[in-house]
Amino acid sequence: MTDTLLRVRHLRTYFWTLDGIVKAVDGVNMDIGTGRTLGVVGESGCGKSITALSIMRLIERPGKIVEGSVDLDRTDLLKLSESEMREIRGNAISMIFQEPMTSLNPVFTTGNQIAEAIRLHADIGAREAEDRAVEMLRKVGIPDPERRARQYPHEMSGGMRQRVMIAMALSTYPQLLIADEPTTALDVTIQAQILELMKELREERRMSIMLITHDLGVIAEMADDVVVMYSGKVVETGDVFTIFERPHHPYTQGLLGSLPRIGQRRGRLRVIEGVVPNPLNLPKGCLFARRCPCVMPICEQTPPPFQEVHPGQVSRCWLTPAGTTPAVGMTAPADVAEAEAARMTITADSGRQSATAAQMGEVGR
Amino acid sequence: METNMQLQAPAPGVGTDRRAVVDEVDLIPVRTYWQLVRQRFMQHRLAVIALVLLAVLVILAWTIPTLTGELYQKTSLDLIDQGPSLSAPLGYDHLGENTFVRLMRATQTSLTIGFAAVLIIVGIGVTLGSIAGYVGGLVDNLLMRLVDVVLSIPSFFFIVALVAFWGGGNVWVIIFAIGLAGWTTAARLVRAEFLRLREVDFVQAARALGASPRRIVLRHMLPMALAPILVAATLGIADSVVLEAALSFLGFGISPPEASLGNMLNNAQRYFYREPILMFYPGIMLILVVLCASFLGDGLRDALDPRQRIER
Repeated sequence: MTDTLLRVRHLRTYFWTLDGIVKAVDGVNMDIGTGRTLGVVGESGCGKSITALSIMRLIERPGKIVEGSVDLDRTDLLKLSESEMREIRGNAISMIFQEPMTSLNPVFTTGNQIAEAIRLHADIGAREAEDRAVEMLRKVGIPDPERRARQYPHEMSGGMRQRVMIAMALSTYPQLLIADEPTTALDVTIQAQILELMKELREERRMSIMLITHDLGVIAEMADDVVVMYSGKVVETGDVFTIFERPHHPYTQGLLGSLPRIGQRRGRLRVIEGVVPNPLNLPKGCLFARRCPCVMPICEQTPPPFQEVHPGQVSRCWLTPAGTTPAVGMTAPADVAEAEAARMTITADSGRQSATAAQMGEVGR
Repeated sequence: METNMQLQAPAPGVGTDRRAVVDEVDLIPVRTYWQLVRQRFMQHRLAVIALVLLAVLVILAWTIPTLTGELYQKTSLDLIDQGPSLSAPLGYDHLGENTFVRLMRATQTSLTIGFAAVLIIVGIGVTLGSIAGYVGGLVDNLLMRLVDVVLSIPSFFFIVALVAFWGGGNVWVIIFAIGLAGWTTAARLVRAEFLRLREVDFVQAARALGASPRRIVLRHMLPMALAPILVAATLGIADSVVLEAALSFLGFGISPPEASLGNMLNNAQRYFYREPILMFYPGIMLILVVLCASFLGDGLRDALDPRQRIER
């Protein structure tokens, strides 16, 4: 259960713009276990999608992967040649995109496109590939797949098309599925269906999923492990229960805190003040310092290191594992345990509620 | 009838699969892209007339010279300047050649040059344009500067120079000259289209599926760029026919006894006072061909543009 399928280390992807270098992904580490789902969360522009594209090596000018390693089953993808990489794409790693409306080619039938995806990686005939395409359409729950396979994307609704995208991505039995906001463009009922489908297929194939989203509800629903990204860096990682129950980093706490609660209608929604720092002019210390409610003098000066705040939970913050201001030269005082216990109950509660909220589709918009 | 079928259709599908989702929207019959194109094209009356007329011209210009063989260049002292008759509906010219047969042969020559030159224009234009648009960067820059260089030479003089270099009179020389001078617009068009297409989601998706660049270009991008290429090609036919006429009129093009619209005009001009009517036939034919091609291109442009759904 714990063997690692994908190991990303020190990944840096920079974009050379006219205004300067944008460090879109700046030293990202993450692990995805076999058969597990890793949720990647963060605001728009924090580098989630660029991380995914870097893993697929689909970064184009003016962007470039500067350093790091992406090991899939101990092969470093960043060291492969372009044609070797093409063998990986769509085969060992598949990707589904946010916009099902535009991610299918409008001039070919869906069956044709799925068959193409299959034939890119398997040495089989056109007829056989088309049979398999129909089979895949059936598997993702599309009724009357024989007829659907002969239809063009514009003859289908958004949910249908996302199913087709999933069918295409899974048609080659990938080890890893990267889903870049797969449900963001869909309405709530369809969202739930698509997530359910992804879960089922994951169980069936023992496939790993990297799920990128800014919807914490989706994370609560789907993920085993969570990576929180901010401004191109990972700020907190842990398994999904820890993150929701004991978020350590103030940013994670802010994200969870800004979820609307069902039944709580009064008052304004809590938000994280401010915006993501300009990537061309990053602050010297902690990137979150300017928006952080617990900011300390040291945050403005020195970027915080990673610290393991609990077994399996790592946070990039100067706060003590218990979430208090560190006393100089020593670790947390004794009454922390008590304070933390109180906090835990509160946040655990909010975590559960947000999960419910997610099923209602109220979250993250 | 059709509404009935729609109402009944969902029923059988629902029970069969637990996860089955029936999209009612999907049961509305949808017209395919090409059905829409045809419908919009048919609404463009001038374009339809142009298409029919062009088809008639093509048929005439290929059957009559084939049936009459060498008749178009047969001179006869007895028949000089004779008026219209059944065997010669447009009479005879100053050399006693059958004007109608000659006109048809000239139309054939001009259309051949028009079509073939456009093939070359599209061939070079699409190849270089798609490379520039897909690869981008330095390659794009180099190719576009090459386009600038070719464009900076006045195209007519460029063609005259090429014809003079290769030796005039030959149909193929003229076709190549026109083609080599005319591909720049097509190249720019295709490049622009490709620059847009390479950012499109489904091209990205194809890349994520592991498709090779060749495959992406040929299968995913080129079909999408087809519409502007088709329009440019149709309009290019008109341009090429006019260019050939201008060349032949100035004596750089097709020379007698071979017939082309340009050299018929040239000859008629010399006998303008004696038989002015000879000027009209090739002139009108030229106007017809050019107008037809232009209207056809216009109609295609309107029909192929998916954003334009307003009824005309």
